[in-house]
Amino acid sequence: MEKQNLRQISPALWEIPQSGKMNVPARIYATENMLDSILKDNAPEQAMNVAHLPGIVNYSLAMPDMHWGYGFPIGGVAAFDADAGVISPGGVGYDINCGVRLMATSLNRQQVQPKLSKLIEALFHTVPTGVGKSGKIQATLADLKKVTATGAKWAVENGYGSPSNLEYIEENGFIDQFDLDAVSAHAWERGKKQLGTLGSGNHFLEIGYVAEIYDETAAQIMGLRKDQITAIIHCGSRGFGYQVCDDYLEIMDRAVKKYGIELPDRQLACAPLHSKEGQAYLGAMRCAINYAFANRQIIYSMTEKVFERVFKMSATEVGMRVIYEVAHNIAKFEKHNVDGRMRNVCVHRKGATRAFAPGAEGIPAQYKKIGQPVLIPGDMGRYSYVLLGTEKAMNETFGSTCHGAGRAMSRTKAKKAARGRNIGRELSDSGIYVLGASRRTLDEEIPEAYKDVSHVVDACVQAGISKKVAKLRPLGCIKG
Amino acid sequence: MDSKFPWLKEIDHTGDCGFTLEAGSIKHLFERAALGMMRIITDPSTVSPLAKVSFSIEERDSEALLRKWLSQLNFYHITNDFLFSRFEVKFKNPNEIAASAWGEKINADVHEIYTEIKAVTYHELNIIKTSTGWSARIIFDL
Repeated sequence: MEKQNLRQISPALWEIPQSGKMNVPARIYATENMLDSILKDNAPEQAMNVAHLPGIVNYSLAMPDMHWGYGFPIGGVAAFDADAGVISPGGVGYDINCGVRLMATSLNRQQVQPKLSKLIEALFHTVPTGVGKSGKIQATLADLKKVTATGAKWAVENGYGSPSNLEYIEENGFIDQFDLDAVSAHAWERGKKQLGTLGSGNHFLEIGYVAEIYDETAAQIMGLRKDQITAIIHCGSRGFGYQVCDDYLEIMDRAVKKYGIELPDRQLACAPLHSKEGQAYLGAMRCAINYAFANRQIIYSMTEKVFERVFKMSATEVGMRVIYEVAHNIAKFEKHNVDGRMRNVCVHRKGATRAFAPGAEGIPAQYKKIGQPVLIPGDMGRYSYVLLGTEKAMNETFGSTCHGAGRAMSRTKAKKAARGRNIGRELSDSGIYVLGASRRTLDEEIPEAYKDVSHVVDACVQAGISKKVAKLRPLGCIKG
Repeated sequence: MDSKFPWLKEIDHTGDCGFTLEAGSIKHLFERAALGMMRIITDPSTVSPLAKVSFSIEERDSEALLRKWLSQLNFYHITNDFLFSRFEVKFKNPNEIAASAWGEKINADVHEIYTEIKAVTYHELNIIKTSTGWSARIIFDL
């Protein structure tokens, strides 16, 4: 796409006007400097494709970390009228409720640094990572049904973490109106061995520290201070969610014909929200959402126990707690301002994060005054950000913001760029100890394969859809 | 281009991965697509065709059939820790196949597993009859 096809709305917001069979315009959040790389990709066309879907309201949105996905762009946000709209599994993604949990500890960087390698090695041996890695939890079908019906609560009830963690998870770690009968035998099978596992690709568990604070008041409310040790978990619903998405894409592919929906890309397959197919997907998707909530809660507890073991401290002394956990591949019913009135809409966030403003419903009491914390992880070598949701995000983006750095290079290009280099050693030379299940993963995930997350975050701040609270720097990481 | 797979071209997809491929017949196209997918997961030349698994698949069109065939192989690979290296596809009619795949259980000492395929997508999926045979375009979510 060419720049002249875009209309600049504000310094960090661009519009692709409605044309052809688009039902609404598409809008891209990005600074002018980011546009060149965004326009080289197919993501803007994908944002236009999403605008064709029935019942879409306001705009088809793309966040500054947008890149080419399948169907929806990664970084895409779209809301559909609860009565006339559709639900699209491709608008949620295969890794249903992929998300990020930020944890803080009572430890300082100076206390952790001498034992960093021991800590990362212990985490690597405790938290299953990598391709098809089985978890230590051998879940029966009956167990899995409880997991998918209760989410993170199941993990807490089974000894993983404490009830106080739940308040700091989006939706309190559990989403209702799930439908166990809407899940296929294949999905149950794929989910059986993977509970409590990180998975592969860009999923990780990172140990870092608070490097910079931009908003002292908000940081204090969140309990973040300079040099404090933090941990980030990035993973989702594993094979269970992938299979749910896969199964329903097939069902929706048929539904598209049945309901006479015209699509510019088959991967956008969808069904009316009130249809039998739409309701079944929503029920199955919510099972996968709960699976992912439980998965991250289990990994949190494993991480806490490794800290206790490595530092020979009690849980109280380690002081691990959840700052907040966000989902970035999800569809949920929320109330938003559409054409000047509050309407119930189904918000699809695919590679985008909920970022609710101060006072919004669904935010923990502790954060009501400052807004919902949002964690934006960067690449392995640079930094991550803690942000807050804003009123402008509520008005413009259905309370959404970016979700990460966003890839700048394909995996093939990244592997070429890593050829002849030892990425683990390069990171270690810069003080970051990384252990990956395979060398190939580290090569594909080299820092330069990603956009600089500070540019992505700055674009969101400039557009007013997020506020910066703190910057975190990595010390070590385990990768799938 | 990989010299072992001259009929396959990787697509430079930012988020995921995919390829286009060519074959003289539709049957051969389906067999090559399966081998191309296994090449994303491991080096198929290290996989011995020791055991046979049979598949019977019917779909509403050839693209959906190709996607389902690859999805079923991936599902079997993941849930049985099994790798494939040889494929035989028989078309019963344009939208139905009876297929066999040969391979063996993953042996960590022999097989390097490169990555996990979450799914075979519908995104830009196509099968085209060309002047010399058939071509297809497939994108995988990793």
